[in-house]
Amino acid sequence: MMLSRQKPAIGPGSTTPAKENKKKKKLPKVEEFLDNRDYTGAITLLEFNRNSGKGDQDTDAWIAYCAFHLADYKRAMEEYQRITNRGNCHPDTYVNLGCTYFFLGMYPEADDAAQKGLKLAGLSIDTLHNDHSPSSRLQNRLLFHLSHKFNDEKRLMGYHGQLQDIIEDQLSLASIHYLRSHYQEAIDIYKRILLDNRDFLALNVYVALCYYKLDYYDVSQEVLAVYLQQYPDSAIALNLKACNHFRLYNGKAAEAELKNLQDTASPSFIFARDLIKHNLVVFRGGEGALQCLPPLIDVIPEARLNLVIYYLKQDDVAEAYNLIKDLEPTTPQEYILKGVVNAALGQEQGSREGLKNAQQFFQLVGGSASESDTIPGRQCMASCFFLLKQFEDVLIYLNSIKSYFYNDDTFNFNYAQAKAAVGNFKEAEEVFLLIQSDKIKNDYTYLSWLARCYIMNRKARYAWELYLKMETSGESFSLLQLIANDCYKMGQFYHAAKAFDVLERLDPNPEYWEGKRGACVGVFQLIIAGHEPRETLRDVINMLRNSTTPQVEYMVRTMRKWAKENLVPLP
Amino acid sequence: MDDSDEERANAQIHQNQPYDESLEVPDGEEVASTYSPTPRVPPGPGGHLGIPDRRRLQGGRSRGSTPPNARMSDNSDDDFGDKINPPDQEYVNQMRMQQGQNFNDEEDDDDDDDDDNDDDDDLDVGRQPPQMSRPKDSKLAAGDGQRIGEQQGQFNSEDDDDDDSGSDDEDDDDDDDDDDDDEDHVALEGAYDPADYENLPVSPEIKEMFQYITRYTPQSIELEHKLKPFIPDFIPAVGDIDAFIKINRPDQKPSTLGLTVLDEPCAKQSDPVVLDLQLRAISKQTTDKKLIVKSLSEAEKNPKQIESWIESIRELHRVKPPPNVHYLKNMPDIDTLMQEWPPEFEELLKEVGLPTAELDCDLGEYTELICSILDIPIYKNTNHHNEKVQALHVLFTLYSEFKNSQHFKSLAEDNKLDNALKGDFHEDQGPDRFVL
Repeated sequence: MMLSRQKPAIGPGSTTPAKENKKKKKLPKVEEFLDNRDYTGAITLLEFNRNSGKGDQDTDAWIAYCAFHLADYKRAMEEYQRITNRGNCHPDTYVNLGCTYFFLGMYPEADDAAQKGLKLAGLSIDTLHNDHSPSSRLQNRLLFHLSHKFNDEKRLMGYHGQLQDIIEDQLSLASIHYLRSHYQEAIDIYKRILLDNRDFLALNVYVALCYYKLDYYDVSQEVLAVYLQQYPDSAIALNLKACNHFRLYNGKAAEAELKNLQDTASPSFIFARDLIKHNLVVFRGGEGALQCLPPLIDVIPEARLNLVIYYLKQDDVAEAYNLIKDLEPTTPQEYILKGVVNAALGQEQGSREGLKNAQQFFQLVGGSASESDTIPGRQCMASCFFLLKQFEDVLIYLNSIKSYFYNDDTFNFNYAQAKAAVGNFKEAEEVFLLIQSDKIKNDYTYLSWLARCYIMNRKARYAWELYLKMETSGESFSLLQLIANDCYKMGQFYHAAKAFDVLERLDPNPEYWEGKRGACVGVFQLIIAGHEPRETLRDVINMLRNSTTPQVEYMVRTMRKWAKENLVPLP
Repeated sequence: MDDSDEERANAQIHQNQPYDESLEVPDGEEVASTYSPTPRVPPGPGGHLGIPDRRRLQGGRSRGSTPPNARMSDNSDDDFGDKINPPDQEYVNQMRMQQGQNFNDEEDDDDDDDDDNDDDDDLDVGRQPPQMSRPKDSKLAAGDGQRIGEQQGQFNSEDDDDDDSGSDDEDDDDDDDDDDDDEDHVALEGAYDPADYENLPVSPEIKEMFQYITRYTPQSIELEHKLKPFIPDFIPAVGDIDAFIKINRPDQKPSTLGLTVLDEPCAKQSDPVVLDLQLRAISKQTTDKKLIVKSLSEAEKNPKQIESWIESIRELHRVKPPPNVHYLKNMPDIDTLMQEWPPEFEELLKEVGLPTAELDCDLGEYTELICSILDIPIYKNTNHHNEKVQALHVLFTLYSEFKNSQHFKSLAEDNKLDNALKGDFHEDQGPDRFVL
């Protein structure tokens, strides 16, 4: 006996397989594919029809339409070119061709095609707004966006005036706002339309994109969720979600989202493939940058910037500079990178010009209303003041963001320098010692400033050890001078004397003798005052004897005399 | 020359600096500022954008290495004020610190050698007036350094509230690097002071020798600062917003692409090759279109694709209708053909057996022979060259019926069937592979 049967033996369920078979046997319709946005399927069917001789004149146009919405603009362009070459085609074809050119980045060609379409339709720019046909609306929007690409403000305003109060035109305007970083204006448009059209779910994604750009990542997530609930496999929405995760959490969380998409998508799904490839590099911290990013330069705007960042991280400043030198910055990120590259190059080559440029870029970003409260904005302002050597100001900015950079060597390096520059040697020393990178730790700027901090904090011995660890070089000589003079200034005469002693041996400059003489007497004074162990006197006398000046004898005699009187044993 | 060039440039930049004013902090002793107590913050970010809390700093901080949830929840109630405050708080503290330290400057302003710097002037004058005075300095001035004291004078108090370009330019000319300054006005804390040792009980000889200490003036060594520029995080790309530059449907029907749904293909696209094969199978139509042979690079890395291909082809074959043959002329019903032969014929067969393929005749003749024995007609004079093909199809259908018939199968197993008959069919074992 079987009690758990679920499928009825008789009735609709029982015949399911057969039914399915029958359905499969029927030729699918193009409309079904379009409804599912399965454009690959639609094209396959249309091509099959065309090749079976069943296609009609419209088949080409339909294939082009599908290719366009599949984002295979090249294919769409080829179809339209074939149609126009046959001659005597509908004026709309030119507008459509213009659209494909537009998405292929062929803006002059797009402009030509759009103008030709206008002419064929017997329209002029001035009469465009009287025409309500969808194709002339499209034409106006295309020309509107082209003007933006051409940076032709006058033309832009012309077509802007032709926009009508229809949803498509308003959305096109919002997209221009977005491109011009006027995100709030774009959001306003979307929200207004959404008020009357709650079912326009896609607009939520547009709003989410704006919020993302405004750095409201969690708001963006919320708005985005509305759409994803309905369309969980949307590539655009999932990619945005991944980007939000990257900003809110980390690269790993972001990659997981993209993986979701890759798992659900069929192998023939190539839409947004470049975007995903690009973002995977980003989420993986630059892994594979050199393979993936170069072909995407000027295809995805961020690709160039990311490659620059990659080179900067690899310390290849020259390559970074080459990539960015001709870029005319428009976005904050571009300004920041311009500043960073110029600063890096300026420091490397000692170029004042570079540093000045860098400082100006930093100031522009850090001073802008939109960036002044972002972390990068404050980093910019701090960098700007750093280059201007206004370290009090540097500290104000760095202090405000230091909690985000506790273990960041670069941050600490700058931070400690600024602290030292304003005389806060104690904290400067602490911060310098947080630094892990060997590259920084071997940098003379690091060594010399740390030595100074040690001396100012009365730890001259550590400064001396820094010197001992260095190889003999021009830098070690400079460090000696620093130790000699700073110690002298701070009354730490023992190490001052030691440093002057070495200096004098390396370079018999009378000045070094004078320094050594003063330092040795200084140690003597400290011994008498009881601030320095008496045994040190032996070292002092030995150091004095390294010099050949007649004064030495007299000084040694005086010291020995004191030692005898005070029962200090001397050899 | 270089220096002053740069300075001038800097000075210029200063003029345009939006921050000069805003950096001013209201302070008891200060000239009234036009700014409210959060002067460092240009127009409130949240306010400006019409979105209240949770803004940039929070978003920004969460980049990269930050732990996920902790951060979010920790700060979710952070608001604007909170976020902005830390810097201010810091700033105020710093101010207090400096206030305590710097009161000496006013005395020895002016006339410093080459250590003055306009940047610093700006800084002190325009932005951080409290810095004017430093107690530390006074202490030091007494000791080691008049010289040092003088250097402190760089903090010019003359042009107190005047942080605009005029005074800057003036100062430019005699300015120099400020590295010194920093170092100097810094270097003083705890510096050597001979006065501390004046009362040591020593012989005049030694006392005289002590003068060597002050006879050498240690150099002020200027250290280079090196800005290690911060490297921004990698920037993900989200793409642009639909510009509604989209091709209309060729049939001019309205479409809601980009409105109710994003104008993007769905993630589950048909596999064009599989679909093409299906279409061929379903339509039973010939097409000029060449079959695309799919290839897969790095196949070993794509087991998923291979599996889905195998699965879809298997599905295709399962669904494919069995091949049908339309007989041009009437053929006898298979059931009729399956009827038993007359008994005497059966008897005879036991003796002579069916003609085997070893018979000395060609394939065509052999086919005719067998078909006539089995009562399958071969229609002559059809305009097809393969007149026998249809007959053969009937022959093999008949065979397949026998083979699949449960009744005959059990008969055969019980060996009740004639050997000869079995032999005949075994001989024709190829039919399964026969394709029309």
